[in-house]
Amino acid sequence: MTYQELEQQLAQALERTAPDSAEQVLARCEKQEERVIPMTEQKTKPKSLRGLIAACLALVLAGGAGGVYYQQTFAVTSVVSLDVNPSIELKANRNERVVSCTPLNAEAAVVLFSMDGGDDLKGAKLDVAVNAIVGALVREGYLDSLSSAILISVEDGDASRAARLQEELVASVDGVLRSQAPGAAVLSQVLDASAAQGARTGGSSVSSGKASLVRKVMEMNGTAGDEAVFDQLALLSVEELNDLLETGAQQIPIGRPAACRIAEEYAGTLELDSAAADADPELDEFPAHYDVELKTAWGEFDYKIDAWTGAVLSGQRDILSLASASGTQTPAPQVPDTQTPDAQRPGTQTPAAQPQSPAAPPAGTNPPAASEVTESAAKTAVLEHAGLSESQVSWTKVERDFDDGQWEYELEFWCGDTEYDYTVRCSDGCILKHEHETHYHSGGSGSAGTDVGAEAAKAAALSHAGLSESQTTQMKVKQDWDGGLLEYEVEFKSGGMEYEYTISGATGAVLEYKSEWDD
Amino acid sequence: MLILPSSWTTAYGGPEGRARLEALLLAVAGGDREALAALYQSTRGAVYGLALSLLRSREEAQDVTQDAFVRIWEKAPQYRPQGSPMAWMLAVVRNLALMRLRERGRFQPLAEEEWDAIPARAPGVTPEDRALLQTALGRLGDRERQVILLHAVSGLKHREIAALLELPLATVLSQYRRGLKKLKRAMEGEQPL
Repeated sequence: MTYQELEQQLAQALERTAPDSAEQVLARCEKQEERVIPMTEQKTKPKSLRGLIAACLALVLAGGAGGVYYQQTFAVTSVVSLDVNPSIELKANRNERVVSCTPLNAEAAVVLFSMDGGDDLKGAKLDVAVNAIVGALVREGYLDSLSSAILISVEDGDASRAARLQEELVASVDGVLRSQAPGAAVLSQVLDASAAQGARTGGSSVSSGKASLVRKVMEMNGTAGDEAVFDQLALLSVEELNDLLETGAQQIPIGRPAACRIAEEYAGTLELDSAAADADPELDEFPAHYDVELKTAWGEFDYKIDAWTGAVLSGQRDILSLASASGTQTPAPQVPDTQTPDAQRPGTQTPAAQPQSPAAPPAGTNPPAASEVTESAAKTAVLEHAGLSESQVSWTKVERDFDDGQWEYELEFWCGDTEYDYTVRCSDGCILKHEHETHYHSGGSGSAGTDVGAEAAKAAALSHAGLSESQTTQMKVKQDWDGGLLEYEVEFKSGGMEYEYTISGATGAVLEYKSEWDD
Repeated sequence: MLILPSSWTTAYGGPEGRARLEALLLAVAGGDREALAALYQSTRGAVYGLALSLLRSREEAQDVTQDAFVRIWEKAPQYRPQGSPMAWMLAVVRNLALMRLRERGRFQPLAEEEWDAIPARAPGVTPEDRALLQTALGRLGDRERQVILLHAVSGLKHREIAALLELPLATVLSQYRRGLKKLKRAMEGEQPL
């Protein structure tokens, strides 16, 4: 039983158990509290955003007439960087007007394209320019997912001005995002000049703000000082970096471009100009993954790509072959980009163009079809995937089962302390799902990154419980490495109570604890 | 056996589910009683699940579920679209349940067999449902139970659960993984594959 199945069963059980008292609820519902007109803000904000941009541009024009003034106030006093995945650096003078606006990466250049690469913002008030950029980021879709994040970093020699600028800009951006992208988080920091210089690497195009965030992640995962890791992390978005910090993950995700490429390779559309992929990181989910949406001439296809390994967790393989096998005309390499999104949705396609729709269940037949891959071939495929040979493993389950509209092989085996679990589609041998879990024994070495060790974990639990080890019995300390997080599970008994702790292997912090009467 | 993550979602999870709930909630805000009935039918499981996990009493959870929908009706005009209508609704439920707990005073943890989550004669409830719910409610720790129910039944993302329960995201993830493992072990012990 997979975790997803377990969750689904739990949800269904609770739905069936929940009482239905709709009539009683309706009978009690009469007067509502003071009414406001919903959505008003959302409808009006775009206008105000356009107004902001117009005002910004107007200021630029006005600024153009005042060149002398600029000469007098050209000295940069504040540097504000905005990082999402696009990274943009604004330099401002003592009057808080923009002296320069620089895109630091290719995505930023696209965002600033309509503002003449940022030149249109010169002379604008800093807050107006920031809001115009945030508006462009929203329009380009960089802040529309639930966990999107924008980082605002302020560098200024005057600490009080830096703090005020930070507060004002955050409030201003938050106001824009509240209606435009309510799921997005606004992160902010003030950097002094030395910290900013220290965070940034020589010649790097990363903003000092983002560099500082990267350094925090490196401190957290024990890679401080490793510039190769810095370069890897610097390619991630603020959302991804923030997720790493919040979840305490020790690994480095593959990144959105790699996730898109893997999904396209799997789908067989890598060479098609007409296919476009977009990835949304879900590093705060379990398992951590990227949701990749692949838009093709046949419709949209969703893929889940493991964030750490790049393995395809779900999605349709080889769209072209499938379309070809089902008689669908192979699309021309260049597909006009004039279709509306709705026209590309599966619901509006021809039946043959819906390769993800499940097949009808078989009418009581069980024997494998001649075209199916054999059990032996499925075993070979998963061993190859795991990089193991037959002699190294012990099989615990090899079953053929009909599920989710198709026949599948369920294969489980062990190699040493590691348990492997695979699901393989019978029709083509595609690996639909794979998991492996290493069951470390006490004293195992785990993986890279900081490890406080079993003794420190035990000490942290005892300290939290206010006990010494001599006061306890049945002490158990188990190392667990799961989902990128090293943890210690500490259990012991004392004074008729049973204690259970989960201690972070990275920090020694108590992540959770439970105590109950020992029966 | 496999259910692909992409093919499984709750009625309220995913962008479409959220948009549907958002529309229902806005219609309720406009005084639409049919929308309230539809909202009730599509979310009562999630509302009841959270109330039950907090209160540990079927009768009290039923009361709070009713109260919550009345409160949602009353407050809906003040609702502003902020990303997750389900999170807003469950915040109402949580507040009502916590008030109920405060009124009740300290409560004693119930043993697994003392949970009365499942009515004796509930139509459509299978023995497997009973076993699963009994395990989920009785054997998991408070936080594990809340996190798993919120994720499984309410379709909330871990980040939203962290905000609702006022917990660090890392803690929510840890509770979720640990609870699921416990649940899986318990269920596989009771239902050998």
